[in-house]
Amino acid sequence: MTTFVIRRLLWTIPVLLLVILFTFLMMRQIKGNPFRKTDRAVPAAIQANLDRKFHLDEPWYVQYADYVKGVFSLDLGPSLVLRNQSVNDIVKSHFPVSLELGAYAFLFAIVAGVPLGMLAALRANKLSDYLAMLVANVGFAVPSFLVATLLIYYFAVKWNVGLPTSGWRSWDSKILPSIALGFFPMAYFARLVRGTMLETLQQDYVRTAKAKGLRRRRVVGLHVLRNSLIPVATAAGPLLGAVITGSFIIETIFAIPGIGRYYVSSVSARDYSVTMGLTILYAVIVIVGNLVVDILYGFLDPRTREART
Amino acid sequence: MLAANQTLTMAWGAEPPSLDPGLATDTTSSNVLLNIMDPLVKLDPKTLKPVPSLAQSWDVNGATVTFHLRHDGRWTNGDPVTANDFVYSWLRTLSPELGADYAYQFYGMTGAQAYNSCDPKKADCNTLKNKVGISAPDQYTLKVELTSPQPWFIQQVAHTSFLAVNHKAVERWGERWTEPGHIVTNGPFKLAVWKHDAEIDLAKWNGWRDAKDVTLKRVNGRIITDGTTAVQSFAAGEIDVNTTGIPPADLPRLKTEDTYQNYPALGTYFYGLNVKNIPLQERRAMALAIDRKSIIDNIAQADQVPATSFSAKGIPGFGEIKNDYLQPTADMGKAKALLAKTPNAKKHINLFVNDAPGHKEIAIAVQAAWKKLGIDVTIKQMEFAQFLEFLGPPPNKAVDAYRLGWIGDYVDDINFLETWTCQSGNNNSNYCNPRYDALVEKARSTKDNAERFKIYAQAEDMLTGPNGDFPVIPIYWYTYVTQEAPSVKDSFNINLLNQFDLSTVKVVDK
Amino acid sequence: MVVNPQQEELRELVLTRTGGGVDAGAPIRQTSLWRDAWYRYRANRAAVIAGGLFLLLVVYVVFAPILSPYDPYAVDFSQAYQPISWSHPLGTDQYGRDLFTRTALGGRISIGIGFAATIAITGIGILYGSISGFVGGRLDNGMMRFLDALYGLPYLPFAIIVTQLFQTVNFWVMVIALTIASWFTAARVVRGQIISLKENDYVRAARAVGARWYRILGRHLLPNTLGVLIVFVFLELPGVILGEAFLSFIGLGINPPKASWGSLAQDGRDVYLAHPTMILIPSVAIAWLILCAFFIADGLRDALDPRTRET
Repeated sequence: MTTFVIRRLLWTIPVLLLVILFTFLMMRQIKGNPFRKTDRAVPAAIQANLDRKFHLDEPWYVQYADYVKGVFSLDLGPSLVLRNQSVNDIVKSHFPVSLELGAYAFLFAIVAGVPLGMLAALRANKLSDYLAMLVANVGFAVPSFLVATLLIYYFAVKWNVGLPTSGWRSWDSKILPSIALGFFPMAYFARLVRGTMLETLQQDYVRTAKAKGLRRRRVVGLHVLRNSLIPVATAAGPLLGAVITGSFIIETIFAIPGIGRYYVSSVSARDYSVTMGLTILYAVIVIVGNLVVDILYGFLDPRTREART
Repeated sequence: MLAANQTLTMAWGAEPPSLDPGLATDTTSSNVLLNIMDPLVKLDPKTLKPVPSLAQSWDVNGATVTFHLRHDGRWTNGDPVTANDFVYSWLRTLSPELGADYAYQFYGMTGAQAYNSCDPKKADCNTLKNKVGISAPDQYTLKVELTSPQPWFIQQVAHTSFLAVNHKAVERWGERWTEPGHIVTNGPFKLAVWKHDAEIDLAKWNGWRDAKDVTLKRVNGRIITDGTTAVQSFAAGEIDVNTTGIPPADLPRLKTEDTYQNYPALGTYFYGLNVKNIPLQERRAMALAIDRKSIIDNIAQADQVPATSFSAKGIPGFGEIKNDYLQPTADMGKAKALLAKTPNAKKHINLFVNDAPGHKEIAIAVQAAWKKLGIDVTIKQMEFAQFLEFLGPPPNKAVDAYRLGWIGDYVDDINFLETWTCQSGNNNSNYCNPRYDALVEKARSTKDNAERFKIYAQAEDMLTGPNGDFPVIPIYWYTYVTQEAPSVKDSFNINLLNQFDLSTVKVVDK
Repeated sequence: MVVNPQQEELRELVLTRTGGGVDAGAPIRQTSLWRDAWYRYRANRAAVIAGGLFLLLVVYVVFAPILSPYDPYAVDFSQAYQPISWSHPLGTDQYGRDLFTRTALGGRISIGIGFAATIAITGIGILYGSISGFVGGRLDNGMMRFLDALYGLPYLPFAIIVTQLFQTVNFWVMVIALTIASWFTAARVVRGQIISLKENDYVRAARAVGARWYRILGRHLLPNTLGVLIVFVFLELPGVILGEAFLSFIGLGINPPKASWGSLAQDGRDVYLAHPTMILIPSVAIAWLILCAFFIADGLRDALDPRTRET
């Protein structure tokens, strides 16, 4: 296991270099002046001053080399648009927010989705199953911007429940965005848990246990649950991607100061260093996330451990 | 009746890119800065004439302007505000190393442009720095040498870029000096909280020279960039003022409410025409064919004003401008007649707009109008940054017509008119008329306001009058749209330059 | 069920040459295998309903704009925000444009991009996966390591950057943006299939008689992955559709006047307090498509490989 982990960690270096290279080349291709934000043109002398300040007047390979050096010394450079902040500052202030949002969304997804799936599996083909799956299917198919809009409309504007319409400060402002972001993963988990539980319940050893007279709850608890959680662990990988993607929308709609909302605006504003820095950050998140999932999977399912060579 | 709790909660429209006066370029930055710092002059809310603020008086002697500062200006760290602060700050803004976007505002001073254009890698810029015409003969006197008499200079100084910074804070903290714990200010409010991208709160500073006149104790500002989110927030009663704006599509619903407020702005939304591609009479015809009122009523919907000249309404001297050629509605008859007289009219036109909401719809309306003249218009839409790069400078040959807006930096028409001079970097129409340039130069050196306004009117006439050259077709003059709760509606105001002065806001019981 | 002449010929060939044996992975006895699959699919009620609804949607987006008397781009403010009626089955928008027509046109873009991107993803996946799986050995190892590395590329950020690379965002730009960092799973799936099929007897036999690699790949291996790939396409489709909707919603999607469901939803959100249908209609359309795709995928998976059937 340790060699596996070390191997994977070593692989992150070439991956990051690849990500930096791709992003750098792509950003160079995008036309647009990061220093021109309004219809008004930038006078030539000022443009020269700015290019000089941010080393944009140097040849691209020099810029690239400097940038790579910076990344490996954990300095992601200054922001071209937010003049008094560096990319590190931006990450420090925005990333914890997105992380918290993602964590709460996942929490909601598991707390709401797993029991829903279990309920559906245990009462398969009865009314509660159909209702549960209805909720799951709706959550799966309806885009999160609609979910978010409806939540805000009903809980924050129309019914005076006292929940704020936007922001991320008090604990009550964190409820609606977490639900909105976690709705899709919840549905995914519910379906998945139902499916795998049903499959496991059919397995011979479960039938044997039942035949032996073990009480249903024990049967479920011991064997079925653990085996059903394996696919949930594997699903966490792609769901991480879904949560990252969804956060862009949720953060914009709820005015949450996270990196998702920031990423979109930095690309439009041509803030090269922020865009590259955040892309690298995302890549690291995805790599770490995949690694964690693979490790979990290795623990949960001994069969796969041998397959790892 | 004044409310017991003098707290204002509002929405800021964006995260300020910087709270350094030398680097602040957008409206959120300038509005925060104008309330936490003490400018030399402010603009009178009604007449827009400069009124004393930190400068209690000033003398204009030809091309030399001398400001006499009050003696009771203070920084939050206890230092007195002196003329040297301004010398330091203005030279810093002009320094090539800082890369200040608004350095060009200072080019009217002697030696300023030369210093700003210096390349520190190739020359020693300090010699040029010492030649800039800014000095402090004594602690409270600030002397400025201009390149020529510029009657609008005093008004210009009300702009954010002319604010002073405290050199101790800057030297100690470097680029971080604007963070809440580090920043040193000298205005009616202090920067209490700045959670990046989330919140900017201001608190009244009792050490300000006129603190007793300030009623508001605290301003809690949430940064909300999305219009719909801001509207929802206001509807839920979470904020008292929404300066983020209202999505154009939602305007019809909200306009009818008491909380809707609309302020004229010093800016013109226009279509530019490439004078090298489109002949003169055709340009006049195209200008006459547009129904401005319909565009405003149906598409823009924010009570904008139909623009019959490029110079914006509200500019001093606007009354001199004849405004007798372009009308709020279209004059198809005249337009068609003009086009009939043009044998070499261009029948296929490329119109470039950027893809923000509203621009395409206006383009479609204009396309329909020009179609009636027999001109086929292809609308090309681009993302904003690319659009700006595509337009130039230098002007792009492929562009026949394009959409842009011009917002005034200060309240004088020279700011608008000089856009169309031959050397202007903002002239995307390939327009170069030596007579026009001569008029603008003449205006620059005319001190007497009344005389100057007459020259401005002549210049405007050359652009959009009956014999105008029409490198530009004005469409409407901008407005600023807000939502304001009854408790602050009367005292919260936005002036022509999109500035609001929180020291005059009072929360009343409603 | 349409049986084309080539299929008949093939069937003859197979039945006479191989004695009609039914090995898993034998050269396609297309009529027989597909017909079985079809029967199994038909038995799955949910899948059939989903298939029908999906076809209905496709018919709507293809034909509604052709048959509609309205110009979807014409601006007529007197007709703004008309309620749902017989002449405007979904009402009108703020410019007086008929929403029934515009939603159909938006559907063309959304579904078109969805399928094009998914097929592109699958295509690249087939290319990469079959080379890696078929050749095996060190090349396979190297290619899989590289793929593992590529997994680190975050999909949406890259998609966003790609949309900014081009002067205008049109249909194909969106397809590229959505494909560029999404094909990795497809490659893995294809490789897995190829590897498991490679060891079958008939493949070894084919090799023994000297069949060229392209024949083996083209005749035996790839057609047998077809089933899995079709299921994969319908499973990937929802993700791609949502990706396109999200990009459009944040304003980075296809350029107006072309609308997709995502950009219609964004327009709708601005006025949802006064006119909620404007955001509901495109969202429901997206949900419709996603649900259909999912149930179809479920049904296809059960139909084509009964071993994985759920109880």
